[in-house]
Amino acid sequence: MMRTPKRVAMLAALLALALFVAACGSDNNDEGGSVKSSAGQKIPQGKQGGEVTVLSAGDVDYMDPGQMYYTFGYMIGYSVNRALYSFKPDNAEKPVPDIAASDPEISADKKTITVKLKSGIKFSPPVNRAVTSKDIKYAMERVFSANVPNPYATGYFGTIQGAPKTPAKGIPSIPGIQTPDDQTLVLKLTEAKAATIAAALVMPLTMPVPEEYAKTFDAKNPSTYDTHVVFTGPYMVKNDASGNLTGWKRAKSIELIRNPSWDKSTDYRPAYLDKIHVDEGNADATVASRRILNGSALMQGDGAPPAPVLKQAATRFKNQLVLVPAGGTRYVAMNTKLKPFDNLNVRKAVFAIFDRNAMRLTRGGPIVGDIAWRYVPPGIPGFDEAGGLNPPSDLDFAQNPAGDPAVAKKYMLAAKDDGVPVTADGKYAGKEKLLMIATNADPGKKSAQVAANQFEKLGFKLNFREVTQDALYTKFCGVPKANVNICPNVGFFKDFVDPESFINPTFNGENILPANNTNWPQLDVDSLNKAIDAAAILAPGDERNKAFAKIDNDITALAPAVPWLWDKTPLIESKDVQGVADNYSTVWHLSFTSLK
Amino acid sequence: MIFRQPPFAMATYIVRRLLWMIVLLLVISFLTFLIFSKLPSADPVSLRAGRNATPELRASIRHTFGLDKPFFEQYRIYLAKLVPFDTHKGFKPPDFGYSYQNNVNVKAQILDRLPATAGLALGGVVVWLLIGIPVGIISAIRRGKLSDRIAMGGALVAISAPVYWLGLVMQYLFSSDIGKVHIFKGSGSYPNTGSLFTDPFHVAPTLFLPWLVLATAFAAIYARFLRGNLLEVMAEDYIRTARAKGLRERTVIFRHGVRSAITPIVTILGLDLGILLGGAILTESVFNIPGIGRLAFDSIQKSDLPTVQGTVIMGAFFIIALNLIVDIVYAFLDPRVRY
Repeated sequence: MMRTPKRVAMLAALLALALFVAACGSDNNDEGGSVKSSAGQKIPQGKQGGEVTVLSAGDVDYMDPGQMYYTFGYMIGYSVNRALYSFKPDNAEKPVPDIAASDPEISADKKTITVKLKSGIKFSPPVNRAVTSKDIKYAMERVFSANVPNPYATGYFGTIQGAPKTPAKGIPSIPGIQTPDDQTLVLKLTEAKAATIAAALVMPLTMPVPEEYAKTFDAKNPSTYDTHVVFTGPYMVKNDASGNLTGWKRAKSIELIRNPSWDKSTDYRPAYLDKIHVDEGNADATVASRRILNGSALMQGDGAPPAPVLKQAATRFKNQLVLVPAGGTRYVAMNTKLKPFDNLNVRKAVFAIFDRNAMRLTRGGPIVGDIAWRYVPPGIPGFDEAGGLNPPSDLDFAQNPAGDPAVAKKYMLAAKDDGVPVTADGKYAGKEKLLMIATNADPGKKSAQVAANQFEKLGFKLNFREVTQDALYTKFCGVPKANVNICPNVGFFKDFVDPESFINPTFNGENILPANNTNWPQLDVDSLNKAIDAAAILAPGDERNKAFAKIDNDITALAPAVPWLWDKTPLIESKDVQGVADNYSTVWHLSFTSLK
Repeated sequence: MIFRQPPFAMATYIVRRLLWMIVLLLVISFLTFLIFSKLPSADPVSLRAGRNATPELRASIRHTFGLDKPFFEQYRIYLAKLVPFDTHKGFKPPDFGYSYQNNVNVKAQILDRLPATAGLALGGVVVWLLIGIPVGIISAIRRGKLSDRIAMGGALVAISAPVYWLGLVMQYLFSSDIGKVHIFKGSGSYPNTGSLFTDPFHVAPTLFLPWLVLATAFAAIYARFLRGNLLEVMAEDYIRTARAKGLRERTVIFRHGVRSAITPIVTILGLDLGILLGGAILTESVFNIPGIGRLAFDSIQKSDLPTVQGTVIMGAFFIIALNLIVDIVYAFLDPRVRY
């Protein structure tokens, strides 16, 4: 019949038209110039007023500064509260006094820290009074309570005299935190660790908490202060007369308004915006990213744009994209307690064969960061001292980011001499399958697949399992008993700007924990452990930086992992937003952001 | 011989079904508790404790969560809170406990999100019935014709298209912010306060696209189902009799044919609505609608057992309750049904 082909042709034409309409209409505004980096950024002058909306996938973990833990929580937390010290956007290495009036004074024996506080800083309604040193003392004491669980309490502040070693019932009184007057805070330590603790005074747990108001909430286990926080920053979460945070609708939205108690003259933050609305639940990163790039007065919250959107942003929306050195290192950890990675030559061979360029491509290519070869990232003191971006020539296995089969073979044959089963052409001959636990979400999933290929190049057979990111850390890679051979999706990002925070938890054998472990390779070398402990008590400065730089290189020489990326976090904004990146927490700095 | 139901048969039937509902909910609560306790997606204590947490901190958190108790003791405590009856206080509201992640009351969270899910589900039902039933009828009437082939071919495509993919494509084509043609409000437009029931004029436009996406596959399934049923019914003897009596074709089709063919639709409609009220996870995720589905998904990711438990029980309750309603309605519609 003649009719059928005509109808089919008509249908095909309609379909083609629909596809054409869908595909066309894109703006072709390839912007010239290169993508901005926030490293060394100048803080622009902003326009007063206006409102922005931050799009995020998840919610903050906590509003309570004593429990705040995740980066997105920091983005909000540092806009609404002030710690003793904090970072200006143009310098992520040296914190400036915030509630403190000046730099911390460290005693000669490195066991006492004295901090003078500014006057004129007040809590938001309903507390509405001046902050004193007692509020900082209470803030620091409460995190040692079982009612306010905080992993940093004993981790970083456990050497304060009288600090409980186990979570206390109720709020403990810690004699090592002293308040001789309303504007002075003194920390007395049991060990000469003042340098580390002074650096950690940027953390949220030093944000003041008024005891007379908070104790009712802190009496409960867990504390309910989280939904009744009072604020000291330029913004606050909208609340009612009793302090209940009405502007925080869990996993839905957060309303930030100006804090009427904030005194601009006591703060370096300009706080241009009148209001900030956080819209949560934007689970699809592609949709959220496109809304931001094509929309108005929108900014990225948590999460990063997916690689395809990032590529598009880097070409068509350059002025709306900023890259922030993330202060972290991604690596593929090998379990040094289990065969065959208990052998140094095997580990060096793996490092040598690894195509770190391919790994970086899974996250978006060169734009997402520099190829890593050791553990302390750029921007952290000690980075330059250890050699900067390029490895020294004596680390032959780290020279070629695309992988070097010849060097890999050399080390595999050396491992054969150690008794490791290796074939004549340098491939692993063992029959067992090595357990590799990877994340099931992109881009980590892709990175893990590429990592698996690298191991297979050397003849390793893998039992490749994918799990959620949370399970990866809490049930497998963070639990030594799980006996995972390879963890391809681990990485460490800064808690504060000090090399010890990168080296001690991750490579000191004394810090291998039965759970929540972050020494993923389970490296435990006595001489290294001692070197780390010795460097930890050095005062901030050249000697400390050089000591940790040497340790970093020594760890790299032991090849417990394959570091592959020093991240740059991409941040995107709408074209009418003048965002300023926070180089400390690698998110937008809401207190410096304005509308164009 | 005419079958007559015994007196109070319907009441007995309803009571019997309600008792079974309680039994089923208990079984479901136990199975969920067992699965998520023994096979959690992550360790909630580790998640809560954070990086480098000491064993003492972890033990403290485990104690706060009650996870240091034996399994059956944990379940007994959970059940005692859940059951709306206390031997000392008498009737009490059921308590789903507190979220491990953020210490928020689980029941409050679920009830807060229920209007969003209900608005999405009910609107979706209306849309798919408005599309699916006419398409099914027309397809059956014009069996074998081009319109039937297009309709059933389109239905096949609609059933095959994954909801998440369809949602993204629809946004990229038709949403007012990132779409090529700015027709509908897109992802993120659903307001965080108010719902379809309290603020319909403001909320309904934000749901047009989600309704279309949600309804697409269901409309296709219902269309195909109704077409098949109607074709079967139209071949029955009584339809031939109706035609022979001289009734208009329209009357034959709608009053006799469709009326019989549509009865099974009531059954599956109840089941589908019950499932959706437990949360349309994919649609809620892609359109950022803060409903129960999203809550369930997020809590599973975080091993937040109390919230997972609460959403599962709520979902099971809706499915069982709606099934009961459907069965009762069916009994009224079809006098042949015995209960």
